Amino acid sequence: MGSTISASAFCAVSRTGRQLLAVAAVLLAGCANQVEVQGQFPTPVLDKLPLKIGVYYDPEFRSHEFYDEADSREEVDWIVRTGEAQIEMYNTLLPGMFEEVVMLNELPRRDRVDTVMEQDLDAVLVPHVQELQYSIPNHTKINVFEIWMRYRYELYAPDGELLAEWSMTSYGKTPTAFLQTAEAAVNLAAVVALRDAGANFAMNFTRVPEVRTWMDSLEQAAKDGGAMAIPADAEEETL
Amino acid sequence: MTSRFAPALVALALLQGCVTSTVDEVLYQGPEASDLVGDASIVIMGRRHASDYETEPDFIECVGKHIQRRDDTITIMSELEFMNELYPWFEPRTAPLRPADIKRMMDIPPVADKLAAMNTEYMVWIDGETVRTGGAGSMTCGIGPGGAGCFGFGTWGNDSNYEATIWDFTDQEEVGRMSTQASGQSYMPAVVVPIPIIAPVQGTACDGLGDQLLEFFSDDY
Repeated sequence: MGSTISASAFCAVSRTGRQLLAVAAVLLAGCANQVEVQGQFPTPVLDKLPLKIGVYYDPEFRSHEFYDEADSREEVDWIVRTGEAQIEMYNTLLPGMFEEVVMLNELPRRDRVDTVMEQDLDAVLVPHVQELQYSIPNHTKINVFEIWMRYRYELYAPDGELLAEWSMTSYGKTPTAFLQTAEAAVNLAAVVALRDAGANFAMNFTRVPEVRTWMDSLEQAAKDGGAMAIPADAEEETL
Repeated sequence: MTSRFAPALVALALLQGCVTSTVDEVLYQGPEASDLVGDASIVIMGRRHASDYETEPDFIECVGKHIQRRDDTITIMSELEFMNELYPWFEPRTAPLRPADIKRMMDIPPVADKLAAMNTEYMVWIDGETVRTGGAGSMTCGIGPGGAGCFGFGTWGNDSNYEATIWDFTDQEEVGRMSTQASGQSYMPAVVVPIPIIAPVQGTACDGLGDQLLEFFSDDY
């Protein structure tokens, strides 16, 4: 669609001259479909885990975007920016999952005691986008817009020791782009995928074997004299 | 006033393709008259856990509006509002597939509190889709100095197939099941101007299912 608009604009330039050149430049710049993912993410309804978790979003995660170059003249380039939307999603999700959440500006490091250690955190969570794929009707000939994402999570001890590392996928689709633009349909698919990522993380965090082992160790430490107690049914609270 | 709109209404009626529909219903237990009195509400949700299709959100909205237009005493909560209020328990990945799952959900205090505050009495799950069943014909459009126009003929079919399952939140059991099928053929002849004669297949399925749900929930039907 973008290339058709640009071609028409080019014809107009040859007829009417310089003034329309500026308009054509604007239209040509818009050849790539750009989607700045925007959506609202609800606060989760969960039994909070009694953990004080630090969260670190690295710069790549904060400004994550996906660029796909067109394979042919019939297709257009796509730029899908998910960074801000996923930060918003995690900033809403995590405080609903954990008793306390602290946003960090740096990763905990084993070689030095720093502010992360001073905050008395139980662990530090670092999410990464490992992979993003999308499909639009031009690719598949099916009237469905889809986004598939794979997140990789790292969970660190406050001293920088890696406690757990695991991946989770998420998926979102818009059944049809009827009465809406392709950009709006991709945006909606991305929002559904982000909601799915949050649901998957919330439901399966305590089921990750390494995380469960770590939580069991915290529980054991609490029994041995600390104050912390992980609910025994934490892993049962999923369907 | 009526005479001004009469030709438009006749034209609209003539421009609609033919649709046939059937509705099946299985009722286990109708609601008590008092069940839906007061602030109690119904939520209508679409099933979206299958990989190859998903129930269209606009169909869910259509059924809800159909019921409320005919009986405004029934409170219907919007699908998105319900999903947001109970995030992440009713997402496609996590939504309960059996009434027994509701009981397990109720064991989680914040979820039970939220459901109690929302006072949802019944949940209707709608599963199905409307598909295009093939087309035929061809149409050519052109543009020239004297104007633009199309010539040709096209036709295509649509099939709708939906099933509604009613869950009682209080008793956590399935209390009714109904389904509707509709099919129709649409046409588009074009002599200069294309004239779409659209069969309202999904709309007919929506009306059929909405009427059956009204019979279940409304005292007036």
